[in-house]
Amino acid sequence: MEPVDVLWVGLGGGLGSVLRWWIGRLLGERYKGAFPLGTLLINVSGSLVIGYLSVLFKVDWHNRHGHGMVLNALVITGVLGGYTTFSSMQLDAAKLATKQHARLAASYLFLSVAAGLLAALAGAALARAQG
Amino acid sequence: MPARFAVLLVFVGGAAGAVVRELLMLLVPTLPRGFPLDILVANVVASFLIGLSTGRHNRKAIDDRWHLMVTTGTMGGLSTFSSFVYASSVLMTASMTGALVAFAYLVISLAVGYVAVVVGMKVGGYRHATREQT
Repeated sequence: MEPVDVLWVGLGGGLGSVLRWWIGRLLGERYKGAFPLGTLLINVSGSLVIGYLSVLFKVDWHNRHGHGMVLNALVITGVLGGYTTFSSMQLDAAKLATKQHARLAASYLFLSVAAGLLAALAGAALARAQG
Repeated sequence: MPARFAVLLVFVGGAAGAVVRELLMLLVPTLPRGFPLDILVANVVASFLIGLSTGRHNRKAIDDRWHLMVTTGTMGGLSTFSSFVYASSVLMTASMTGALVAFAYLVISLAVGYVAVVVGMKVGGYRHATREQT
């Protein structure tokens, strides 16, 4: 880890956040339901990509001092970290629960995690299948 | 708010949040058996602060621009869902112990993160003392 990598993380995080904001806005214009569809789609698609790229970059997730440091910092920690969000998911769930949709809130959290896990596994499997 | 200005606020906020998350990843150690404490801390802190900011915004104590930069930008950048599920999927497929650690990580993150948002919204929703007197 070198100080310059922090800059890559910042750049990627900014880009990923803008992408999330933009997709959320586009979806918000078309879908007006109570279910937080935008955040769900963003988080699941980001999970698919992180699974795929982590295997592709051969990045050991708990030892980030291996290969592909710049790509890892820019794309995985930066773009994907900024694109996906845990806090907005929890905020969506809390807002649903306060509007008497407690069951929907719980289903939303469960669905996000289950679909996110499957997407991450699928992305990793896809990258391995490609060799 | 012009779209170009909104993009700038989200970019700056998101970049700052991601940098703080990177610093947490460097400072907070991963616990034995691979429990990702760094990401847990980032996600829980971001959940509390997004609740706090939303509570203040509901009270009109902060304006739309500040709210957009802090919630959509900084807290979105500080918290992450992709690393959260990817680390879990790696642990899960590694070993039986790993699967248990992953399960604990998922449940603790969801439960503590949810409580953090609710507490944040409560604290942020309190009226400002000076306003209550008027």
